[in-house]
Amino acid sequence: MSQATKERFLVSPFLVFFLITGTQVGIGMLSFQRLVMKEAGHDAWIAVILTGIIAHLLIWVMYKLFAHSPNAEDIVSIHQRYFGKWAGFVFSFALLVYFSLLAFTVLQTYIEIIKIWMFPLMGAWQFSLIFLVLTYYAVLGGFRVVTGLCFWSVVIPLLTIFPMLFFPLEYAHYRNLLPIFDHSIGEIFSGAKAMSLQYLGMEMLLVYYPFIKQPEKSLKWAQWGNAFTTLLYLSVMLIAITFYNEEQIQHITWPTLTLAKIPEVPFIERMEYIIISVYVLVVFPIICIAVWSASRIAKKLFSIKQRRFVPMVLLLLFIGTLWFEEKEQIERLNKWISTIGLYIVVFYIPALYIYVTAANKIKK
Amino acid sequence: MVIAASLLLLAGCKSSRVIDEVQIIQEMGYDFHDGKYVGTAVYPTFKQGPMTKPNLLTTSSPTVYDLIPRLSSKSALPIEEGQLRLILFGKEFAKRGITQIVHSLARNNKVGSHLLLGVSAGSARELLDITTNTTLSDTLYLPNLVEQNASSMNLPKTNLHLFLYNYFSKGSDPFLPYFEKKGNFVKLEGLALFKDGKYVGKVSLRDSFLVKILLNETKNGVYQLKVGNRGKQGEDRVMLQNLFATSKYEWKKKGHRHVLHIFVHIHASVRDYPSWLDVPHKKIFSMVKKKMEDEMENDIRRLLRYFQEKEIDPLGIGEFVRSETRNWNAVEFYREYKDLEIKPHVTVDIIQTGIGE
Repeated sequence: MSQATKERFLVSPFLVFFLITGTQVGIGMLSFQRLVMKEAGHDAWIAVILTGIIAHLLIWVMYKLFAHSPNAEDIVSIHQRYFGKWAGFVFSFALLVYFSLLAFTVLQTYIEIIKIWMFPLMGAWQFSLIFLVLTYYAVLGGFRVVTGLCFWSVVIPLLTIFPMLFFPLEYAHYRNLLPIFDHSIGEIFSGAKAMSLQYLGMEMLLVYYPFIKQPEKSLKWAQWGNAFTTLLYLSVMLIAITFYNEEQIQHITWPTLTLAKIPEVPFIERMEYIIISVYVLVVFPIICIAVWSASRIAKKLFSIKQRRFVPMVLLLLFIGTLWFEEKEQIERLNKWISTIGLYIVVFYIPALYIYVTAANKIKK
Repeated sequence: MVIAASLLLLAGCKSSRVIDEVQIIQEMGYDFHDGKYVGTAVYPTFKQGPMTKPNLLTTSSPTVYDLIPRLSSKSALPIEEGQLRLILFGKEFAKRGITQIVHSLARNNKVGSHLLLGVSAGSARELLDITTNTTLSDTLYLPNLVEQNASSMNLPKTNLHLFLYNYFSKGSDPFLPYFEKKGNFVKLEGLALFKDGKYVGKVSLRDSFLVKILLNETKNGVYQLKVGNRGKQGEDRVMLQNLFATSKYEWKKKGHRHVLHIFVHIHASVRDYPSWLDVPHKKIFSMVKKKMEDEMENDIRRLLRYFQEKEIDPLGIGEFVRSETRNWNAVEFYREYKDLEIKPHVTVDIIQTGIGE
């Protein structure tokens, strides 16, 4: 069933670091503080660490899942092997739909931010058309091109956006962090649940796993990637907790962007516009990987060429952007897709792992 | 093909705002007058070269929200609020509450967090009018006045972000600079205090030094203290210039009640002091130091008394207590706030007396 993917399509194990971080850190970075602080207040940073640890475990589970098979496979082969042709098809197809919807949600949320902050009169279709044409171009370049994009999506924002977020420390109230553990374990856990949405994206590892050179060796890079993501979220969260108070942050839709209103240089007074523009680089690879993953699954399910399938997905995404106008719809979509993702990552993957292990034992 | 298509499409995307085709408002005033809201906008008109002349637009309306659209109907160019630097509220308007404006500012993505807010004793319009007349080319007279005083004198730092922070905080109340018209000039007169978005009182510019120190802003500010009883004006006062100050709060239990201790430590330079103090040996200076400390403790106690009577908390004492108590309850805390025992302890270190003895 599985044939070793050709050497020239593979990526080095260390690039998994960028793939994991690049897919996890996305549009949610701009707004996650509000949801987490709603639950866990000024103890939200504990929730961030907690979620990070859970994500570490889940990555480990994903690698374990693949450890059973002799040579590198992806989730589609595993589904087929353990669930049979039809049930396996259904599960894989569900993942395909999920990845397409994920790409759509990210695109839609980013368009909303551009419309609200920069061009209120812009039609969604203009931007999404250009963006999707670009996605087509990148995805057809293959997985290595997409990985390259991921690399830059970590490096460039890290050098440009991240330092800007430290300027607001001028207004930091460090006392906001005290007293530590002022919230109950239950509240911190619901904060962690709100936070877990920010770690979504790493489940695409299930699809691109066979594209990693010596994949079993990349576990340590995946874990480092996840640790780095946690570090990023943690620092942005700590900045937000000291900069805003709990009540104030509930009135701000994108706390990270509002943070960026503080740094001021003589020639640019409003840094948030720079951040929104640079954020294309963060959003774009996520959409590319999601579309790539969807098309990869399609290729294995229907034996359809990616070159044929990608335009179909992109067309659907484009038509979708024409439908969504209201903020409330986008919020509902976000909520939906993140709940589905949460169930896939937190419940489905460990369950699959247990099932696969059990099945192997029985076979023996 | 793709490039050509995107070029065509991108051309339709622009929504540019060319600098000389918009009316950039830099200051805005809100008043309440005869049952109507009055909005005043100050904008620069560009003449030859870098010379600008401030101009005024005024309009009135029964509601706050349509002031800017109404201003538009008096302006030849579209009004752009992205460069707003200062919003001034008339006292009457501030008394009725500035919540509406503040919430709308918190939502407005166009204005920056560094936007300054202020309260004028009389009408905001009158004050803005003075600044346009007395300054030749400077539309930013008031914002510069505030910033200068915050960075080198007694005024604590204020801006939109800090205002919103204190406004939304459960454990503190906001304050803003307070201006008054003095003849043909605008004078900074201290701080306007707010409670739930409504103006409730003010402190003098002298007392704002204490507020500044108690908020733990460490540098700058001057404070005049009485150190003797020599009768004649100015003969028994010293001028203290703050070089570096820290304030530390402690929340201690005494019996079944809590006491708040405030430790203020000021490193100061005293350059202006009466001639009778001008003696070579330092003994008399330590006496004066003690007097200054006592005097300042008294002043702080008086100031805190005033805050407690008005039931406002511009110093964020509630915030501090919250960080020290588990499951802090704002309602409970402020119910007893009036009777809270607060003990200031001031230490003054005179580390400079200028270059002469």
